[in-house]
Amino acid sequence: MIPGRFDYHRPASIAEAVALLASLGDEARPLAGGHSLIPLMKTRLATPEHLVDLGAIASLKGIQVDGDDIVIAAMTTQAELIGSALLAERIPLLKETALVIADPQIRYKGTLGGNVANGDPGNDMPAVMQCLDAAYEVVDEAGPRRIPARAFYFGAYDTALQAGGIVTAVRIKVPPHGHGYAYEKLKRKIGDYATAAAAVVLTVADGRCATASIGLTNVSETPLWAEEAARILVGSTLDTATLDRAVAAAESITNPASDMRGPAEYRTKMAGVMLRRAIERAKSRATA
Amino acid sequence: MSDITMPNVAAIERSRHGSSIGQPVTRREGHLKVTGQAGYAADYNPPGLLHAVMAVSGISRGRVTHLDVAAAEAHPGVVKVMTPANAPKLAKSPDDKDHGFMFRMNVLQNDSVRFANQPIAVVIAETLEAATEGVALLRPRYAEEPARIGLDGSAAFALQAVGAGAPAKGGIGDIEAGLAEAATRFEATYETPAQYHNPLEPHATVAEWDGDKLVLHTPSQGLTMAQGRIAGLFGIDPANILIKSPFLGGGFGAKGLFSGPQVLGIMAARFVGRPVKLVLRREQMFGPVGHRGETRQTLRLGADSTGGLTALEHNTLTTTSFYDDFFEPAGTTSRHLYASPAIATSHEGVRADIGTPIFMRAPGEAPGSAALECAIDELAVKAGMDPLDFRLRNYAEIEPITGKPFSSKALRQCYAQGAARFGWASRPRAPRQMRDDDGLLVGWGVGTATFPAMIFPSEARAVLRVDGSARVEIGAQDMGQGAWTSLAQIAADGLGVDYDKLDLEIGSSALPTGGIAGGSAGTATAGSAIHHAAADVIKKLAALATSDERSPLFGAGNSGVVPRDGRLVRQDDESRGESYASILARAGLAEIDGKGSAGPNPSMQESYAMHSHGAVFAEVKVDPDFGQIRVTRLVGAFAAGRIINPRMVRSQYYGGMIWGVGFALHEHAAADPRSGRLMNANLAEYHVPVNADVPLIEAILVEEHDPHVNVLGLKGVGEIGITGTVGAIANAVWHATGVRARAFPITLDTLLERPGDI
Repeated sequence: MIPGRFDYHRPASIAEAVALLASLGDEARPLAGGHSLIPLMKTRLATPEHLVDLGAIASLKGIQVDGDDIVIAAMTTQAELIGSALLAERIPLLKETALVIADPQIRYKGTLGGNVANGDPGNDMPAVMQCLDAAYEVVDEAGPRRIPARAFYFGAYDTALQAGGIVTAVRIKVPPHGHGYAYEKLKRKIGDYATAAAAVVLTVADGRCATASIGLTNVSETPLWAEEAARILVGSTLDTATLDRAVAAAESITNPASDMRGPAEYRTKMAGVMLRRAIERAKSRATA
Repeated sequence: MSDITMPNVAAIERSRHGSSIGQPVTRREGHLKVTGQAGYAADYNPPGLLHAVMAVSGISRGRVTHLDVAAAEAHPGVVKVMTPANAPKLAKSPDDKDHGFMFRMNVLQNDSVRFANQPIAVVIAETLEAATEGVALLRPRYAEEPARIGLDGSAAFALQAVGAGAPAKGGIGDIEAGLAEAATRFEATYETPAQYHNPLEPHATVAEWDGDKLVLHTPSQGLTMAQGRIAGLFGIDPANILIKSPFLGGGFGAKGLFSGPQVLGIMAARFVGRPVKLVLRREQMFGPVGHRGETRQTLRLGADSTGGLTALEHNTLTTTSFYDDFFEPAGTTSRHLYASPAIATSHEGVRADIGTPIFMRAPGEAPGSAALECAIDELAVKAGMDPLDFRLRNYAEIEPITGKPFSSKALRQCYAQGAARFGWASRPRAPRQMRDDDGLLVGWGVGTATFPAMIFPSEARAVLRVDGSARVEIGAQDMGQGAWTSLAQIAADGLGVDYDKLDLEIGSSALPTGGIAGGSAGTATAGSAIHHAAADVIKKLAALATSDERSPLFGAGNSGVVPRDGRLVRQDDESRGESYASILARAGLAEIDGKGSAGPNPSMQESYAMHSHGAVFAEVKVDPDFGQIRVTRLVGAFAAGRIINPRMVRSQYYGGMIWGVGFALHEHAAADPRSGRLMNANLAEYHVPVNADVPLIEAILVEEHDPHVNVLGLKGVGEIGITGTVGAIANAVWHATGVRARAFPITLDTLLERPGDI
């Protein structure tokens, strides 16, 4: 469990980090919390020649309100998401999600930016960000850009992030006051990745669903934004028949692998179960 | 050992006043461990130490055709690469077997590959980092042959012996007749997967050669056996081998017999002429140091109209390697647990391209009782009886096949105390009757626990000093079970000295042989030898005193005095006595020593069946939508004779029951059927229970007196906790869901007849 030889860089600014990554080329990898990359290096599944540690860049830390948005800098840890009073009040879905990621030790090191940027379909935050319609602030050689979470993931570990680029922050439009939310995750045991998981944000007005958004975790090569399933919910009383149709629509877009978490058919059905539970819990939390 | 005098129970009771035995004292070495001062093998760093790292095979069958040794040796810090081309030739082929208790190992004597993760080279370097990089640079190439994996990967064959030499077949009566007359019949097949021991401390060696003398720091559950194995392989005198093993970070059977990687560490040190440390990486624990083989067990049972068994047949198919024989003795449980006029047990083997399986915590009993306890439960339900009543209806008053009486058996009390504590009486008979406040299905199950009471040959030395202190030496091993503590308690009582004035030395091959810390027999084995060594000292001391006119004990006779708090006192009048110091001083002695030995007693073994017993009750909660299972409560009641230290014993029961949780729900080494490689050879994906998976556990220590089993009247506690627990959990899962899972570990999808709606 010893990685191969690599050089270690610790830039003090985003500009310096991006310049370093550009000059070092393909053999350099940015290092955030390290909980995906370091194990790969220890098992020699990844052998980068250079690590560019983003841990000394002050501007990559912190949670800010920016108009209607909350902007979470990329090096914010899962534990900091859990501890944030601002997020607990305005986007409680994030705390609920972070609490079911891995275990406390990992949550103290693992970062939001790393979780969303590395493209592992097992990560929980990407589907949540698609559900929330978040955007990722990205800096690469061409300068800063903003990429919607729903357009970021192409395949397993294949994203819109160019080589040499880094995600600097996640920008989330704060859902309306009184929104209902839930993240339901099925895992074999504590610390495991999801067998299937579902994120739901919805609003209710006059007893009917006014808006809805759904994200699904680890039931395809990428996180899934279940647009059709959410559309079915809107305008309904979130009755059983509607939920049945929404669940069916969500199940139809999944494409999970058969693995030790179960056969593909099982994981698809579990995505449906998680979604049904998430909708019901979100509904119970929605006010207005 | 037929001259062993069995204990006078009344005398034992009397000696309990102020005794150490029975006290829940905390670990003697606890402070050392929590302050990092307990030196494990890999903590030892002699001057000039080099580091060795094994390269292991990426295929499971074939040959290594190329290793880039030049690239590895060119890496800065790498000293040498040991391969089959240059490795020291051993004095004895590692494939030679002198007896059934000697296992073949793969230590670079040729280029063949017999299983994935087999060592194929060892890189020795100035640093661990350089050796690790050297291994990465070897880039092996292979001539690969198709892997044969699993219970159906090759043809099954008949066996003569299983486990440590038990007959493969055993039974009594006529099974077909018993089934024919049965009012209720039941047949089912259960499967258990390959499991790997994974002690927290991986196997490690630090080897130092001085000519033909070897000093070895390595964890071992059997120092004398290890010494003999090394002596044979390297052609040296066992007396020239010193093995230090004061602390083990768990063994569970993986450190019982000396393993190939440990031999490679010794070879590496000889190869480079310097001290060498070799520590296995976690993924290397999956292959060359043993595992529990897969089993497929088919049971056929019949019961009459009153629920009495008429037939119990238990046939096992189990995997071993293509190059050696070890067969999980799963069917032996059925030979001694339930009364039935007809019992038949048999085992068949099947070979696979895997490392040879070996003893793993509760070999035989763990998978065997898992299947048996499920089948008994299924039959009870079919016969319309409460599962606990059904077990009591079939209670074995004598060992069914041999007809021997049990040396002791408080299983009925275990059932009663466990059931009362658990609240079994309020259990509804039918499944799917209980829900909790969150709507989760709740189920309750029971399983019977059993494990044989064994003892191995051992010797001990005891010394009493004129200053009132004492010392006991024995090459016993503490795997974490508490031998440092419980053996000191036995020694203190035997010598009649304060526990705090007793020095115990264990964990070195220089000490008298301590037998094996295995088979749940470690305390019986070492404790009995210590007891006899202490008795020898007291006998000599008594002879000095009672033959000396100046002693107040003069004329009392050897048997008329007993040790008590640093004094010998008259049995008939404890107020009359003399201190050890005074007896020794008058005799002009600084100290007095004695020796003792212990071992199996054939006449007792012929007369009695000896087993620990227990009953385990489990509660599980199952999510009705997706079948997720949590064990929420375990109550185990165990009877294991005399309890030396209830704190340590309870801890052993807890540990065993947690292993049962892992067996029932988590542990599963999954091989890729194409390559034979394990897909989850790490603790991230080979799941074992973590704290969050462990429910509320209670262990009840049921009183039991055993005047026959050994001089101390104690039986093993290390492995029994797994047995019974697996079946109890599986039966509770059925009670919660109405679905019988017959493959372990039980996975969520097996509970879903229609996914999403059980």
